[in-house]
Amino acid sequence: MTQIETQGTQQMTDSQAPAVEVRNLAKHYGDFVALQNVNVSIGAGEYFVLLGPSGGGKTTLLRTIGGFQKPTHGEVLLHGRSVGHLPPDKRPTSMVFQAYALFPHMSVEQNVGYGLKVAGLPRAQVAEKVAAALEQVGLTPFAARRPHELSGGQQQRVQLARAIVLDRDILLLDEPLAALDAQLRKDMCLELKHLQEKVGITFIHVTHNQEEAMTVADRIALIANGELVEFGRARDIYRAPEKTFTASFVGENNVLKGRVAEAAGSEIIVDVAGSRLQVDKRGLAVSDGQEVTLSIRSECVALDRVNGAETPADGFSITGAYDESVYLGLTTSHLVHLPDGTEMVSREIADSDERLPEAGSRVRLSWKPSDIRLHVE
Amino acid sequence: MAVQSTETVGGARPVDRTTPPWRERLVPWVFRAPLIFMVIFFALPMAMTVVFSVFERTMFWMEPGFTLFSYENFFFSARLTNFLNSMKYSLISVAICFVFGFPIAVFVRKSIPQVAQHRVVLLFILPFMVSEIIRVFALRPVLQRNGLVNTTLMDLGIIDEPITALLYTHTGVVIGEVLSFLPFIVFSGFLAMEAVPKYIFEVCDDLGVGPWRRFKDVILPLAAPGIFAGSVFIFVNGLGVALLPNILGGAGAVNAGLIATQAITALDFPLAMAVSAIMMATLMTLLWIGHRLFDLTKILTPLS
Repeated sequence: MTQIETQGTQQMTDSQAPAVEVRNLAKHYGDFVALQNVNVSIGAGEYFVLLGPSGGGKTTLLRTIGGFQKPTHGEVLLHGRSVGHLPPDKRPTSMVFQAYALFPHMSVEQNVGYGLKVAGLPRAQVAEKVAAALEQVGLTPFAARRPHELSGGQQQRVQLARAIVLDRDILLLDEPLAALDAQLRKDMCLELKHLQEKVGITFIHVTHNQEEAMTVADRIALIANGELVEFGRARDIYRAPEKTFTASFVGENNVLKGRVAEAAGSEIIVDVAGSRLQVDKRGLAVSDGQEVTLSIRSECVALDRVNGAETPADGFSITGAYDESVYLGLTTSHLVHLPDGTEMVSREIADSDERLPEAGSRVRLSWKPSDIRLHVE
Repeated sequence: MAVQSTETVGGARPVDRTTPPWRERLVPWVFRAPLIFMVIFFALPMAMTVVFSVFERTMFWMEPGFTLFSYENFFFSARLTNFLNSMKYSLISVAICFVFGFPIAVFVRKSIPQVAQHRVVLLFILPFMVSEIIRVFALRPVLQRNGLVNTTLMDLGIIDEPITALLYTHTGVVIGEVLSFLPFIVFSGFLAMEAVPKYIFEVCDDLGVGPWRRFKDVILPLAAPGIFAGSVFIFVNGLGVALLPNILGGAGAVNAGLIATQAITALDFPLAMAVSAIMMATLMTLLWIGHRLFDLTKILTPLS
């Protein structure tokens, strides 16, 4: 009881502190570096997504926050309090696992109530809280069922109920929708988002699926090769990535390697596969001859089918040889390769009736000056 | 439309059927043969055991008839006491095997990397590459009056006189049973732990479930069918394997298997049959109870 009270006052005094603060975190497994130099701060009530390729370290970060793993260096602060010494159940976090994490021999009700029962709550109070939690995830009619009588989505909702019933204020979700099929995943994404808005606690969600990340996130952090690459609001990450990796991982970007030809001024000229492209410097420090990358989202690239070779170069277009088109329903992707072999994609909405260029014919790809971005790292 | 199409297929088939290749005709027998084998060499002899047990005893064999003399001979003699005793000590062996073996199974599943798990389990199979009679017989120099255990304990000054209760007693038989049957509880426990979902121990960490509760509320209920199967196996073998009390037991330290063997030596075949029938009944009862309690088919379908 006293412990709970002190925890309460601690939270009161540290109401300014972020829900989660990670400082210089590193995790090594022998020679393998799973995480290094991670610094991030997550505000209370935020829906934060850790996005990245498999094996990039995002799950390691989540599990370290939850106390399932000890960091090699650095520390984790929850509500301003260092928790390095605390086991998972003593932290203000609770975890939702990928799948196969329900007690198969217990009913939905018992699964959700087990944590409270272990904590020694009186039976009536447990029943009351369990009913409320099941109500919140929409599983009230399924209270008496066993996990194997539920669909994958329902099983994950039981996990959610089991986590929120504990009244801890940070919920960790480790690829919670990975085992679900695409349609169900979309529905569950929205449900997660709405649940988070309803209960108002901090959600930290790990996923490798960018659509899932965009749907739920207030902010997204990109994690790859054990490093936190970049973080920001979902829209910013998508529209204005800072780093080359972000551009290549989020959205469907054309990433072009080039060499700076003219570094003077706010607009610089970059030489890409023999074409001189103009791009906003964005205040980045670049010098002549430096290798840089440029990114343009494929939906911003227009394909000029007629006389591609004859239009004069304007700094915002490039010529290449047409390869093929890929019909994707809503959009059609046109694949073009540049003289140096780089593949570029132009994505158009709807299927036009226009005749497609023949394979190998020269076409011009163009974009608006504001759509191309410069990256130095 | 659909009906028509099946008709054409059906119509085409008899043409093929007139000359089916001999190989095709053989295929069903691949599945029937083991069944026939089991009926002839397992089910039938088992039934005959019961029938023979009520036959009249003759000098060297038996003759058809109906008498419960053999059962009377069993139930109203020291044999019943011995049988009940061997049940008691088999239960003790099961308990010891469980206490030693199940934690090993849990440990292997929980703490050893997936790739190494099967290798570790293999370690427990290795002793089985040695004939049981040699394994059991090798216990004698260890357990006997001036054996390894006694001399070591005496050299260390822990005891003054050799412990004679280690061999030719129930203790000796229990030691032999634990040695012989421990791997079975490790195997069945290992398989039973497959019914425990992947992340369940971490969920327990998150919920703050202590070790005892974890065992009682989570592991035990999930692994129960497997544990029961392993326990029944050990119990029945403890009752039936005559070799162990034959080599390690002594006066009174016998089991049902040895009682039957002794009956055969005395050319009392109906009695041997009756003892076998009683053991069979015991096993059937145990399996029935187990099935009612845990649904033993679950052993083969770990995750629902």
